[in-house]
This record gives sequence, C-alpha cells and structure tokens, in this order.
Amino acid sequence: MEARVAALRRLGCLLVPGFAAAAAVRAEPALAGQPLVVLDEARPGRLVLEVAAAARALGIAPGMTEAAALARSGGAICRERVAAHEAAAQSALLEVALAHSPRVEEGGPGEVYLDTAGLGALFGDEATLARRLAAATAAAGLPARVGIAGSRVAACLAARWGAGAERVPPEGDAAYLAPAPLALLGLPVEMARRLERWGLRTLGELAALPARELFERLGAEGPRLQALARGEDPRPLLPWRPPRRFEETRELDWAADNLEPLFALFAEMAGRVCARLEAEAVAADLFEWSCRVPVARGPGREVRGSFVPPVPTREAGAVMAVLRATLAAAPPAGAVTALTLRAQPVRVLAAQEPFEGEPRPSPRALAETIARVIGVVGAGNLGVPVLLDTHRPDAVRLEPLDALFRAAAPSGERRGPGEGGVLALRRLRPPRPAQVRLVGGRPVHLRSGGLMGPIVASAGPWRVSGEWWLESRWSADEWDVELADGTLGRLAHDGSAWVLEGVYD
Amino acid sequence: MAIATEPLPPPGWGLESIASLLEAFPRGQLSEIVGPRSAGGSSLLTALLARATAAGDLVALVDGPDTFDPAGAAAAGAELRSLCWVRGRGGRLDAACHAAELLARCGGFAWVALDLAADLTSPARTAPTFAPATWIRLQRAVRDTPTRLIVHASRHLAGSAAALVLAVERGPARWMGSPRPRRLDGLGSRVRVLRARPPAPTAGESGTEWKLAWRL
Repeated sequence: MEARVAALRRLGCLLVPGFAAAAAVRAEPALAGQPLVVLDEARPGRLVLEVAAAARALGIAPGMTEAAALARSGGAICRERVAAHEAAAQSALLEVALAHSPRVEEGGPGEVYLDTAGLGALFGDEATLARRLAAATAAAGLPARVGIAGSRVAACLAARWGAGAERVPPEGDAAYLAPAPLALLGLPVEMARRLERWGLRTLGELAALPARELFERLGAEGPRLQALARGEDPRPLLPWRPPRRFEETRELDWAADNLEPLFALFAEMAGRVCARLEAEAVAADLFEWSCRVPVARGPGREVRGSFVPPVPTREAGAVMAVLRATLAAAPPAGAVTALTLRAQPVRVLAAQEPFEGEPRPSPRALAETIARVIGVVGAGNLGVPVLLDTHRPDAVRLEPLDALFRAAAPSGERRGPGEGGVLALRRLRPPRPAQVRLVGGRPVHLRSGGLMGPIVASAGPWRVSGEWWLESRWSADEWDVELADGTLGRLAHDGSAWVLEGVYD
Repeated sequence: MAIATEPLPPPGWGLESIASLLEAFPRGQLSEIVGPRSAGGSSLLTALLARATAAGDLVALVDGPDTFDPAGAAAAGAELRSLCWVRGRGGRLDAACHAAELLARCGGFAWVALDLAADLTSPARTAPTFAPATWIRLQRAVRDTPTRLIVHASRHLAGSAAALVLAVERGPARWMGSPRPRRLDGLGSRVRVLRARPPAPTAGESGTEWKLAWRL
C-alpha cells in the first residue's frame, strides 16, 4: 500500500542556485551578467557569500574577504546581502509555486517544493509543466531550475543536475540519479574525501553498496546518504500557507468630520478583525490604523498611527478603548473618507499557573483593564519600570506589561521578603528650579516653589557624572539638606543653576 | 565642638515591624497611609511594595504626582518586573483615582497603591480635593476582590470608606559626621493606627504604634 502511495506521489522543486546573488540581481537588474560579488556583512572581514558566474570566471570564490576578491579583479561589483531583497525574492518564488499547485512547501532560501500530482489536466504533461514553471520563475526575475520526481530529494537533485527543467519518470528516481556525481549531494569535505578514497564517483555506486557494511563503517550517516543517493525521502510535504492579513478597510460615501462616527466604524472593524484573529486562534501584538483625509489636489493624505497592546489581545473592546483614547488625544486634522485597521498576528502560548502563591490575572482580563487605564492616563504612561544601565539620575524606561507575565514564569519560585527600610526619594519630574544661598560654600537657605526656609543641616557635595564621551554628558553636585520645618530634600547644582531633585519622605 | 550623634539602629531594625504591618492591610478593603512631608510615608509604601513584589505578588502603583523612584524601590528590594507603574503625568489626580478604581476592580493585582501625595512636594495650599463619592467608588471597586487597595496622602481623605488608616509621624533625621554633618544616614518614623475596623493590628509589646527606621 505504502509503495503504491509513493508511486503516485509527484513533487516538483523550484531551486534558485546562488539565491542571495539572484535576489540582488532581481532588485537591481543592471547587475545581470556582471561580475557580482555578494558580501556577508554579518561575518567578520566582510567575507564573500556568493558570486555570479562572471565573477567566478575571474577567480573569485565564496569565503574570500572583500579585499581578496577585489585584488583578484578590480572590476568585480560588490553588493551587501539585503534581507529585504531576499524576502521579496522568496515570496515571488512561493507565489509562482502557488499559482501552479495548492500544496506548496518552503524548503529554505531559494528552494520551494510543490505537489504536482494531478496537475496534468491543467498544465499538460510533466515536461510541459516543468518548462512552464521555469518560464514563470524567469518572468518573476529569478533564474530557477526545475525538477519533477517522485520524492523531494530526487526532485531537488534533478533540479541541480538537470538541464534546467528536468522531469524524472515515475518510479525511476534511483535509475535517473545513478550516473549523477557524488558532489551533487553537497557532502562535507571530509566525507566526500572518504567516499572518494573508497573509489566511489557516482550516486549509483553509493546506492549499490551493501547497507549493513555501510552502516558498520559510517554509522547512521551511511544509510542516510545511501537513501539520498537513491532519491528516497518518505517525508510528507509540509504545506506552507501564505501569512494571513488581518485587515479591514472602509471607504466612506461621506466625509466624517467628527470622532463619534469614526469610533462606531472602527468598533465595527475591530470586531471583525478580532473575530478573524479568534478564528485563527491567534492574538495581535500590534494594531495599525490609518485615516484618509482629502486634500485639495491628489488622492488624499493618510493619517497613520499604531499601538502595542499591553499583552497580545483579540478583544475588540480592549482594542477600541486604546484606539478611542489615541484618536481623542490626536484627532485627524480634517474630514475622513476612508479607514483602515490592521492587526499583526502572534501566536500566544498558554502558561500554567504556579501551584503556590497568588493566582495571576488572565492576560485577556488584564489586557482589557489595562486598555481602559490607558484610555484614562494616556498611552506611554503605563508599564513595567526597567532601570537603564547608567548612573544618570532617574534613568528608567517603561516596558510593555507582558513583562508581568514573563515574571510569572510557571516555576512557582517565590523570593524571600525584600530588604525594606530604605528612605524613599520622591522625584520631581522635571527637577524644580531652586534659589539657594550659600555661606562658606554650603547651602544655608532654599527657595523652590512652595518650599522655602533656612537649611539647618546639609551634606555634600556628592559629584555625579557620566557619559563624558558623548554630547549627552551630564554632571552635577548633589546635596542632602534639611530645612527648618523638617523637610528633607536633595539639591543638585550642574555648574550653572540649582535644582531641587526631590524630597525624601 | 563635635555634634552629638545618636547611635544608629542595628541593621534590620524595624523590619519585623514592617512585616507585621504588611499583614495588617486587609484584603478587599481600602486602607490609607497618611503623613506630612518627610515623615516617611513614601518609605513605608515603598517598603510594603518591595515586600509584596519580592514575595511574588503582582502590584500596581498609580503614581498620581509622578514622583515614584524605581531605583529607590529596587534598592529597597522591590522586584520591578512584578510592578505595574501607572504614571500620572499632568498632575490629574482624578484620572489617577479612576485608574486605581479600574485596577482594583480587575482583581488581578494583589496590591493596588494609589499615591495622591502631590502636596508633599508642593506648597500645602495646593493640597488636592476630591469628591466624597471617590472613596465610596474605590471601596466598592475593591470589595469582594483579593486585592489590597492602599491610598497614600498627606492627610486622611477617605473618611469612613477606609478600613485601616495609618498615620506616619516624623522622627529625627540621622546625620553622620563630625564636627558637621557629612552624610544623611536616615530617618526615623512612628506609625500609629488612626482608624481600624476590628481587629486592629498590633505591633507587639508597643501596642498600636510602630517605630521604623529608614536608611539612605
């Protein structure tokens, strides 16, 4: 039964050799036919990652440094690897495959498989389909090689070894691959030399070796290589699905010039987006919205915004609470003729509550509450405080509240009580200007806002400074002072003026 | 002439008292910490938050006047990753009350602290005023939840809505150095129970008064 199913299976492979270079040429067509050298900036020394055929003819090879490559030929054209270009090329390759088959698998950069069984009625025989796929990828700007065979490995090897659009007859994978050179497998250097010492030159010779003896000499790697040489690959196709867009757009017949109708429309759109998120069992960690405002000439101006919910959510109410607060704080300047709401999906894994201690709030309930609090206090005023790695006073930033749930890692670990007993400073933000009278270099009288009076005790100055190598360098002399009315405060003098940094309480 | 300096309390002095205070705040009720400027009310609140977060509880701090110092709280032992800090920029204390009401109603936080002591860093004449219904709303929001809601202010605000009111009084500041002070070392505070629905918390042998020491 299994053999019959395998016999019915037909898979195609779209393979783009030198994918980074091909993506660079696709983005900059003038590079076609030129001695192009793609550099990997992430690796020290700016090593050559890939070379075009013209550059290879000049003696440039992957692994060289940029300097060595240019020394070989000053005419080489160097380009850095661009992830966005590669992503666009990969997307184009997947689109070609999807246009021909509903079942497609992404094998890696520049490598896509598709199920070709049953496509004869649509595209003719397999040879025609292979040529058609090669033409479609060429039209998409990619020089892909095509192979169609009974397994993924055989299809890939056929694409590498064939003439460009290769078709292997059904149940003929092993026979087709038998005369192919061993180098087709891309073996590690040590393994390739070992097999060469044994006198093996072709895949057929490797496939013909007795499996038991091969295992005794090479371990599990031996039978694996032998299966590859025969084109055997029982793994099923893992279908790839294009990422879904969670987006709603409304074109208005009239121009909405106040916020209430916008809120109603956005609420409806948020409900639909969140329903789609729920249907896919995902949540969103970013919501983007835009409003089109007409201008005198042209199609209109897009007013855009985005917000990150405290925790990934698919609650329409929570989304609207934040959106309402955001739009109320900065309404679009003008009447709106179109609205768009887009969500960035993310899969959220459930975490188990610890057995000990207080139960944590559910992320959904907390997200809704926090969204309402943001509506009250404004976005950016709520989060988990994180101390920055600097000695600058009051160096802190707010992180999204999902850090609360990371803190609630289900280890159930509970720390002992804190040290406590530390005198707290109430920081004035920004520090309040102060008038300070000095006698003998020590402050004796303070006036700052409503605080005024003689200073009965003081200690300082304590020099704090940092980042002297940057434009943002800072330096101040700090004093702790006690006023006659008992107020304890911290003063600072930055060389030009006094400020009250805070009050101890 | 050398300045007479008081002997400092031994390390850890007052910490046991803080532990008993932590137990005194009732769940599902509104409590208050009141005290004038530089009396130690903020230090007490920070110590309570530090104890709670270090024990693994989730805490929300609604910082009405935006004067909370996270670095100081971390020095007091607070686990900042368990702290949700709501900054009341713009000095809108009514918005802070509303935010605290929402957080208390949520029930997901073990502690919700509402800091309204804006006048501790401002002239006394700018002391904020609130509608009496504010405290009833807050008390009803936290009722039937496992949350402890604490309001920190310079004076008693919540009236009968507060189940526990602790008054913090200023003790002597401690300066180190002779003949003149070279370093502020700390502050002493006394905490008294102004109002408590039974049972009233006790501080052991000293009855309903706690003596606390804050080190800088």
